[in-house]
Amino acid sequence: MELAALEWKVGGQQGEGIDSTGEILARTLFRYGYYVTTYRQFESRIKGGHTDFKVRATPTPTHFHGDKVDILVGFDDETLPVHRSELKPGAVVILEGDGTKVTEEDGYTLAVFPLKAIATELGNPLAKNMIALGITGGLISLPREAFYHFIEEQFKRKGADVISSNKRAVDRGYEIAQEHLAHKVKTLPAREIDPNRLYLSGNEAIAFGAYMAGLTFLSAYPITPASEIMEWLAAKLPKRGGAVMQVEDEIAGITFAIGASFAGARAMTTSSGPGIALKTEAIALAGESETPVVVVDVQRAGPSTGMPTRHEQGDLNHLLHAAHGDFPRIVLYPSSVEDAFYLAAEALNLAEIYQTVVFLVSDLGLGMNKQTTPRFDPRRVEIRRGKIVSEEEAKALGEFFFKRYRLTEDGISPRPLPGNPYAVALTSSNEHREDGHIDETIEARNAQMEKRMRKLTGLRIQNPFYVDHPDAATLLVAVGSARGPVEEAAAALREEGYDVGTLFLQQLAPLPVEELRTLLVGRHVITVEHNYTGQLLGWLRRHLPIHEHSTAITQYDGRPFFAERIVREAKERIADEHRAERAHA
Amino acid sequence: MSIAPSAPTLKDYRGDVNTWCPGCGHFGVLAALQRALVNLKIPPHEVINVSGIGCSSKVPEYMRSYGFHSLHGRALPIAQGAKMGAKDLHVIVTGGDGDGYGIGGNHFLHAVRRNMDITYVVMDNGVYSLTKGQTSPTSPLGFVTRTTVYGNKERPLDALSVAIAAGGTFVAQGFSGDVKRLTEILERAIQHKGFALVNVLSPCVTYNKVLTYDYYKEHLVTVEEPFPTREEAIRFVKEHRGLVHGILYVDPETPDYQTALGYELRTREIPEGPMDEALLRELEEEFR
Repeated sequence: MELAALEWKVGGQQGEGIDSTGEILARTLFRYGYYVTTYRQFESRIKGGHTDFKVRATPTPTHFHGDKVDILVGFDDETLPVHRSELKPGAVVILEGDGTKVTEEDGYTLAVFPLKAIATELGNPLAKNMIALGITGGLISLPREAFYHFIEEQFKRKGADVISSNKRAVDRGYEIAQEHLAHKVKTLPAREIDPNRLYLSGNEAIAFGAYMAGLTFLSAYPITPASEIMEWLAAKLPKRGGAVMQVEDEIAGITFAIGASFAGARAMTTSSGPGIALKTEAIALAGESETPVVVVDVQRAGPSTGMPTRHEQGDLNHLLHAAHGDFPRIVLYPSSVEDAFYLAAEALNLAEIYQTVVFLVSDLGLGMNKQTTPRFDPRRVEIRRGKIVSEEEAKALGEFFFKRYRLTEDGISPRPLPGNPYAVALTSSNEHREDGHIDETIEARNAQMEKRMRKLTGLRIQNPFYVDHPDAATLLVAVGSARGPVEEAAAALREEGYDVGTLFLQQLAPLPVEELRTLLVGRHVITVEHNYTGQLLGWLRRHLPIHEHSTAITQYDGRPFFAERIVREAKERIADEHRAERAHA
Repeated sequence: MSIAPSAPTLKDYRGDVNTWCPGCGHFGVLAALQRALVNLKIPPHEVINVSGIGCSSKVPEYMRSYGFHSLHGRALPIAQGAKMGAKDLHVIVTGGDGDGYGIGGNHFLHAVRRNMDITYVVMDNGVYSLTKGQTSPTSPLGFVTRTTVYGNKERPLDALSVAIAAGGTFVAQGFSGDVKRLTEILERAIQHKGFALVNVLSPCVTYNKVLTYDYYKEHLVTVEEPFPTREEAIRFVKEHRGLVHGILYVDPETPDYQTALGYELRTREIPEGPMDEALLRELEEEFR
C-alpha cells in the first residue's frame, strides 16, 4: 500500500538524542523529494524531562507539521500517554522496553523492542535511535542507503567505527521491521527532487536574510528561543568584517546596536519577551534620536519568565506599544520561514530608510522549527540605506553645526555618518532643534514631533499580508506560525462547504488600514492566535469597525494549534454569527 | 574656526551655550578635554562624544564634535557600539558618577574588562545634581541629602580600585581645579590603546558642600608616575582614601578589544543594490 504522506514523531528524555534522530529522518525525507515540516517540543532543562520531535512529509508545500501521527517512536514512559490521542487509525507505536512484543491495541499496533539491548549487542548502546530509524525506514520501504549519507555526515568526526556501528544499527532496524511488522509495511514512494528547495528554520532564515541584506553588527544576550540567530551569525559576520557581540545584558544588547548603527553599521539585536521588556527604554531612544535599529523578538510563553521553551504569541501588545512617549515604529511579522528571510532583509532597509526602530516579530513555533522552503530570490529585496549624507552634499551646505534633524516634507532628515568632515552633528535623546541641540520651546517640540510622526505615512512593505479567498463570508486571520494550521483548517472547512478564506498579516505597524478595511469590514472575522486575550483582534478592532462581526480563537497552553481544533471552533463561531444575524433580522 | 580643520583650534570645538551653574567643576573638565584634543591635533569630525544623562552628560551639547547625548547610564554600551561602527574615530564618553557607577555600574564593569579603545571621563561630584541634590554612589559616608536625611549609610564606591582590580588598562584620577594636569592626563588617556578611565573630582558648588575645591586642594596627593603593579596602585588609593591625583596604573600590553578580535572591522561597508547572488547560493548549500 502506498502512503501519500507521512507523519512521524519521536519522544524520549532530553539528552537521549531525540532531536538528532528527528533531524536525520527529516533531512532524509527532504532529500527523498518531500516537503518536510517539523516541530520540536522540549523543557527548560539540559538533561531529562520529556521531549519530542514531529516530522511531517508531504508531496505538496505546507507550513504545518500536522495534527496526527502514523508512526510514533518512544524511548520513555511518557511518549505513548502524552501522544496517544494523536495516533491515526492503524498507526504503529514503537517503544523501547524489555523483550519483544507486538500487539494490536485499540486502533493501533504496539511494538515493543529492547532497542538499547540490541544496540549494545551491536557494540554501540547509543545506536538505539538508529535502530528505531531503521524500523521506521522498513515500515515505509525507504531505501536504507538513504540513511547512510546522514550517518556519515553526522558521525564524521567520531570515526569509521562509529559510522559502521550506526549503519549496522539501521540495518538491524530494517530486519526487525521485516521480522515483526511485515503486515504493517507500506511504501512511501520516492518523489522527484526539486533542486530549488531548502530546509531551514525561521531563526536560520532571519539570520540568513539579515546577512544577505548587509547586516554587519549584532549585539545580543542569550535567550531561548532567539539565541540561534546570534549563533548562526557569529560564525558568518567576521568573514565580512562584521561582528557579533554577546554583551553583558539585554540593555547592552540594544544600546550597542544603536551605537553601532549611529556610527554607520547595519545593526540588529535579537531577544525574546523578557529581554524585549528590558530593551524598552532604548527603543524610545531609537525613536527620539532617529537611530535605525532592528529588534527581533522570537516570542515564547509569558508573562515574565513564563514557559521559556513553549510557544506563544503574547508579545504583540507590548511590541505595538512598548516604551514611553509617542514615536513612529514599524512592526513586521513573517508568516512563514520563507518570509522570515525577506522580512529580515526588509527590516534592515526600513530601519535605515525611516531612521527608527523596526520590530521583526517571530515566535518559537516559527523560529525553532524547520520547513521545506523555496530557494531565495536575491532580487526580491535590494539593499537600500536611505538618506546618508555624502561629504560633497554636506560641504555644499556649509553648516558649522550640521542640521541632523532638518525639517523635511517626508519627515526623514539626511543622516551623516560620524567622520564626515563637513557634517559634525549632534544626535540626541532629548528634544532638540534641527541641529540636535536641546530645545524645549513649543516651536521646536512641535516641529520635531510632527516631523518624526510624519515619516511612516504611506509605508507599505512588499507583502503586508497574504489573502486567500478574500471574498469569503468568513475570514480566518492569523500571524506567524499560526499560518500553517489555519491554512489547513480553512481548506478542510471549504471542503465541507464552508465559505472561508484566510488572511495572514505581516505588516502590523503601521497597519495597512485602507486595504484591510476593504477586506475585513462587513465580513465575519475570526482571528486565530496564541494568547489569552486576543491581542491581534484587539489591534484590528482599534483601527477598523469590525467589533460586531469578529471573534478570536485563542490558545495559551504553550503548544501549537491543531488544525482540527480550529475547524471545530470555527464552525461554532460561524454558527454563532449566523444566529446573531438571524436575531438581528 | 572652520568646518573641517586640519589643525583644529579651541574655537572649532566650541559648542552650544553652556547652562552649568557658575563655578561648576565641569567647566574645568570641558576646557581640559577641548585642550587635550587640540593639543593632539584631532579635528572635531574625528571625535565621537557619547554621554548619558545628567549635568556632566551635557558635554556633547557644549563641545562641538560628533555627539550622542543618550540615556541615563547607557553611554558606555552606546559608545562601545559606536566604536564597533567607526573603528578609526576617537570615542570619548563623558558622564557623571551617578550615570556611570549607579545606573550604569554593570556596563562600567564590563567595559573595563572588555578593554575597547575608548576614553571614559567620569565627572565625579559625589551628588546627583540635575535632579536637585540626592545621594550618589560616590557620596561620602554620613552625607546629608534630600534622600539621606539622616546621613548616608552606604560607603562610597571606590571606582579607581574597582577599575584597577577588574583589569583596567588605564586608570587615572584628575581634578577639575587643576586644568593643566587634567589636560595632560586626558591627552595620555586618549592616546592609550584600550579602555581609559579618568575619574575627575569635579565639585558641585550648588549641592555638595563637603567635596569642595578647598577640600580637594587641601587633601589631594599627587601621583607622579603610574605604579608598576595593580596591587601597589590599589594600596595607594586605599591609603589615601581615594584622594589621589594622577595616572595610577597603565597596562600597555593587553590588546584592546578590536585588536583581540584578530581581524579588521569593516562594519560600515555595506554595498547598496541587489543581494550578492553567488554568496547567497553558496550559503544555501548549508540548507540543502
